[in-house]
Formats: sequence, structure tokens, C-alpha cells
Amino acid sequence: MAFTFRGGVHLNESKNTAASAIRHMPAPAKVSIPLSQHIGAHCKPTVKVGDEVMRGQVIGAIDAGLGCPVHSSVSGKVKAIEEKYNAMGVKVANIVIESDGLNTLSPDVRPYEKELEDITFDDLIEVVKNAGISGMGGATFPTYAKISSARGKVDRLIVNCAECEPYITANHRLLLERPESVIGGMKLMLKVFGLKQGDLAIEDNKRDAIKIAEGMTAENDLIKVRVLKTKYPQGDERQLIYALTGREIPAGGLPADVGCIVFNAETCSAIYNAFVTGMPLIERVVTVDGDCVVNPSNVLAPIGTSYRDLVEFCGGFKAEPEKVVNGGPMMGAAQWDLDAPVTKGTSAILVFSDPKPTRYEQPSACIHCGRCVGVCQMHLMPNYLSMFSRAGKWDLCEKYNVMSCVECGACSYICPGGVSITADNRVAKAKINEKRRAQKAAQAAAAAQKEAK
Amino acid sequence: MNGENKMLTVSASPHMKSWETSRVLMLDVIIAMVPALIWSVYAFGFRALSLTVISVASCVIFEFLTQKLLKRPVTVLDFSAAVTGVLIAFNLPASTPLWIPAIGAFFAIVIVKQLYGGIGKNIVNPALAARVFLFIAWPNEIKNFIAPSSEKLSAFSINVDAVATATPLASLKQGVTPDVKIFDMFLGNTPGCLGEVSALLLIIGGIYLLVRKVITWHIPVAFLGTVAVISYLFPLDKSVHAWEFMLMELLSGGLILGAIFMATDYVTSPVTKTGRIIYGVGCGLITVFIRYFGGYSEGVSFAILIMNLLVWYIDQVTRPRVFGIRKEKKKKEKEAA
Repeated sequence: MAFTFRGGVHLNESKNTAASAIRHMPAPAKVSIPLSQHIGAHCKPTVKVGDEVMRGQVIGAIDAGLGCPVHSSVSGKVKAIEEKYNAMGVKVANIVIESDGLNTLSPDVRPYEKELEDITFDDLIEVVKNAGISGMGGATFPTYAKISSARGKVDRLIVNCAECEPYITANHRLLLERPESVIGGMKLMLKVFGLKQGDLAIEDNKRDAIKIAEGMTAENDLIKVRVLKTKYPQGDERQLIYALTGREIPAGGLPADVGCIVFNAETCSAIYNAFVTGMPLIERVVTVDGDCVVNPSNVLAPIGTSYRDLVEFCGGFKAEPEKVVNGGPMMGAAQWDLDAPVTKGTSAILVFSDPKPTRYEQPSACIHCGRCVGVCQMHLMPNYLSMFSRAGKWDLCEKYNVMSCVECGACSYICPGGVSITADNRVAKAKINEKRRAQKAAQAAAAAQKEAK
Repeated sequence: MNGENKMLTVSASPHMKSWETSRVLMLDVIIAMVPALIWSVYAFGFRALSLTVISVASCVIFEFLTQKLLKRPVTVLDFSAAVTGVLIAFNLPASTPLWIPAIGAFFAIVIVKQLYGGIGKNIVNPALAARVFLFIAWPNEIKNFIAPSSEKLSAFSINVDAVATATPLASLKQGVTPDVKIFDMFLGNTPGCLGEVSALLLIIGGIYLLVRKVITWHIPVAFLGTVAVISYLFPLDKSVHAWEFMLMELLSGGLILGAIFMATDYVTSPVTKTGRIIYGVGCGLITVFIRYFGGYSEGVSFAILIMNLLVWYIDQVTRPRVFGIRKEKKKKEKEAA
């Protein structure tokens, strides 16, 4: 019996690259590395224009508060430090490095001095922090912060290899080709956290990966391979934890609130590599697919590689690109610029020649069919949320729990009337957040005034 | 071919869309009604077809004209007006004058649907509202139910003098179990409206809709189940077996047509599963209530119309529990506040 959850949609999987082995991309002529590729404060640059940098060298350090350092993915010369919009539409400083093609490794990159058996909790946090690891499934939360906040609260480790988005096969290939790094990372964390159970969760459309993982963990009593039903969005950590443990993360809560810590499979592998080779997070597996790409494939690409270089490495374009998506087709962000760089959260680059998601030409209209209510795994009523949002009724949106919406896109996907429900919900969430911030500020101002009196 | 110096399309995710659009769904509903339509032509002659064609054509034309007049985008190609057209014809007897469905189409499309905002915005089912309107406004024109295969009506004469026969439902109303075989009622060998006589073909259409996942089982099963249970427990005619009376109630009138094709209309039915069951049970209760105690022999259309009006409230009452929000916790929070 495969594990699953209530709601969700069955998508056309389009896993065209499932059989294509990960290819190592040589250093491109130029990389552009954003100083913020994570949730939290932007890094401050530690290099200047004209500096020589080496592969794996720190080029951006944590400035204040929550952050995640950034390393150079090539060796070469810093050409410029320029402000650019990132995938989310936020202005970020980018360090542009011209590669010398040598990929000279920084002397800082060396295996961790302690044996894996002797690693303590503080060591784990330190190494993960220095390696600049942030969640590689797309949310990009700094991993050391997740680990330290979960300390002492969890009894279950879950490694997420559901990969429920169509097209993406990066985690699948990783598990096929480097299972030892994922399972090694699991063993390491089980040991450091002192946990009795670690689940490696894989959707049942990846039978070959399940077989390999089961073979490698047969001797290990702590690690269990869990087979999930293939359904979107199984990879959402709320649904993943619910499917495996029956626990529900409370609204606005974190996995640690229900005793779980969840890592993306590639994040887990990056943690392992940070100990074994000392390599910081400077490259990642990216699925390059879409009808414009000549050879859709999985590429181990240096962080900062432009989408254009990536597609050229995959044989170039075979049709005029109209839409480029960073991430999966359900939650990924459309980009306006092919020169944007691959970052730590880029699991896929999809290049499409058809800008529209559908051939439906009718004006959009909700027909009240209730499909969105059926697929919403958060058990919301997306049809009413969209209606309220369009009417500007933010209070009603809040009352109908729009803040619980994870923007997975299942409602918009299934809507026969072509209503952009997810986008409407996003607007409502932004408005409510705005209101909450204003209220907070007003309260703070009132308190300050009281104090002054 | 490399996107050089080119602005790419930026739009909100998701970048994928199901192929199942409103048009596809409406087309499926039309396909599901074809068997019953063919039967009506076989049973009542080509007049059944001409009534249906007039009804569908007027619905589409009125929708087109209203949208042009109101300067709205024209949406006749979503086929929802065509579905309404077929349903209006299905609710008329074969002897109905040919101009009647056109008036029904005007009422359904212009007044009930477009003036309330078009597809998705109407509060009651347009075809049912039209049926009730026609039956009340022209009772003499729409009273002649003829027996199937008795005489094939010509397709084009405006008015027909047909030999009227009492429908099984009308007999039931008078507390007399009609003198027809239940199997004939199941097949459709009884007098009645065009699309309602053959339970078998309607059920086949319903199964098609279920298999294609156009409708869910909740509304038809709750609706028919409620009628079945009540008529079994409290048969009006004590001279026949209770189950026989129950089958008569189920197979007579527009019950099956209503439960499968009219009550399941998306726009005017609830979105939650629990809501759909409540709605179906409500339809069943009101139907039996009107059939037993009301002035009309048929209660299905009124029952569905009344429940249509309650859909908003049913939706609100059956709001699902949001993932990660427990009721007890909410209560505690309220107490704390």
C-alpha cells in the first residue's frame, strides 16, 4: 500500500529526462552569482571587482540575521558586481565572474577533520552553514537554521524524493546515480539528531530508484524506504508528513511542530558532500526540458550559469522560446530573461514555445463545478476565495483561511472555467500580509507613544 | 532561434492546464443525453427532434444576441446554452406547439441566465425555471401527453391534436397505481415528456457522466435514494406491494431526468461532497412532499428549484475543515480571546 493524502491532482508527468544520466557541465565563460539565493537577509560581498577567485571560495558572507553564504562556482576574475532582479522579482546584487576555465579548487575545500561517527550537533550546524546549503527543493530556507530550530524537537527524519512536479527528474537521477550520498546524509543526520527512524519517501513512478534505495538500506534498521502514490502535490512537506505519519502541521506551523524534519534529497546529499569532500554548495542538478530544447537532459550545473548557456549545453534551441520557467510547471516562476542565472533553488529550467498554459480561448468564468474544492489538499474552497479576492473582500478571504493556501496551483490547473484561482489567492495573501504589517506597525507606534508620555 | 533580445512571456504559475474545459464538460453532457433523444424520436416521431432543434437553436441565438447587446464576450461556443436547449425540450411533451420552446429559451437564457451575469452566475437552473414558467403560463398547450408509438407526430405542424393519455404520474397522484408494466416504464413505453420516459437510457447517460467524471454520484444517489426510501416506507396505494409502488414513484415523471441531468447542474448545486448529499436529500424530500400533498402531480422541478436557492447556504455550512486547523483549537482560541 502506497502512502498518500486526500485531494491533489493526477498530472501528465512528462518525465522525459528520467533515463538521461546527469551530465557534468564544464565551467561556462561567465557566471553571475546572486548574493541572495535563500530566504533571509542578502549577503555582503567579500570580494571586489578585479579580484582573483577560486572554485569554492566564499564570495558573499552572512551580513546580519538569517542568511546563507555564497561561494564561487568557478575560478577566475571578478568582472562586476551588479544589481539585477532575481527569479522572484527582487533586486539582488550579482557577482559576475569570468571563468579562467581551470576550475582551480580553493584550499578551503577539504574533507571535514572529524570522522563521521564523531560529529556533534554543533559541528553539523557549523559545516552546513559554512557550506552555504539552503533547501534545494525550491523554498531555499537556510538549512543550518532549519537544523538548529529543530534541535530536540523531532523524532522523525524524512527525506523528500517525491518529486511530484512534472518534467523534473533531478532527484530521481540523483538517487539512481549517487544514492550513497543521499543515504549517507540520512545516516549522518539520524546519528547527530539521535533519531530512531528516517524515511526516504519516493513516489511510485520511480520504481528503479525505489529498488536501489531499498537494496542499499536493507541492512539498516533505521532507514525505511517509503513508497508514495504518484499524485501532485505529494512533495509538499505538509502532505508528505501527513501521508507518512498521519500528523498535521498546524496552520502557520513548521514540520518541527509535529516532530518531523524534512530535507529535499539533494539537500541531504549536499550535506553529506560538505563533510566528505568539503565542497560547498556551488553546483546542482538541473533538469533542462521543454519543447524548445534540442536534447532535454539533467545537468550538474555550476551555480550562476545563465539559462542560455545551460540550454546551449543541452544542444541549443530548436524552436523560438516564448516562456521560460524556473522550477516545475506547477509552481515555478516564469522568467523574462534567458540570461538569468541558475541558483541553489533551481531544480529545473523549462523552455516552452507556447506561452499559454492552455488552448482554451473562452473568457474565464467559474461554473461552480467544485473541482477545485475536491483537489485542494489544504481543504480550502478555492472558488469562493477567488471570488472574494476579485471583489476585494480581504476579510472574507482571511475568514476562509486563504493564508493556509500553499499556492500549489492544483485549483488553477483543474479549473474548467480557466479561472486563475492561485493568482487571486496570492493577491489576497499579499493584501492580508500588508494589513497585518500595518497593524503591527500601528501597535508598535502606539506603544512607543505611550512610553514617550 | 535563441531568444536573443526578446521579452519572454511572464505569467503566474501554474504553467499547465487541464484539457478538461467547460466546453469539454458541456459536450459530455450533450453526448450523455443523445440516447434519450434518439429514444424520444423513436417513440414520439420526428416532432421530438424538431422541438429539440428549435429549443437548442433559440437558446444559442438568444445567448448570442444578449451578449452582443450587453457588449459582453460571446460564449455560445462553451455549449452551455445548447445543454439548456436540450433540457428545455426534454421537459416538454411531444404535442407541444413549436413556438413554446422558443419562449422557454428566451426565459431561460435571457432572464434567468444572462441578466444574472451569464454562465456560472445564475441562481436557479435556467432550463428548469423555463419549464415551470411554461407549464404555468401555457397549461392548455402543454397538457397533452401522448402514448409512445401510438401515433408518430409530424415534425412541422404548429399545433397537434393528439389523443391525450394520462401519464403514470398523474394516476399515482390520484392514488391509483397506473395500469402499466414497470418494465415498460423502465424502457420508456409510457406517456410523458420527451426526455423523461426512458429510465434505462437516462441511466446509461448518467453512467457515462460518472465514468467521465463529469458528475459525482452524490446528488443522484441521495436524490433517488431519498425518494425510494420514503415511497417504500409510506406508499400511497396500499393495494400493491410497497416495492412496486416505490419503483413506480422512481420511474414516473421527470425524477430520473431531474436527478441525473438537472440537479447535478454545476452552477446551481453545492461544491462539497457533504453539501451535495444534503442537497440531494433535500430535493428528494421536497419531491415526495409535493407529489404526496401538493396541487401538482410533479414535484421534481419545484424541488430542484427550491434547493437551488439554498446552495449558497449549504456550501457555507459544509465548509471542509482546513488542513492544520482543528476545531477544538479554534474554540480554545475563542475562549482565550
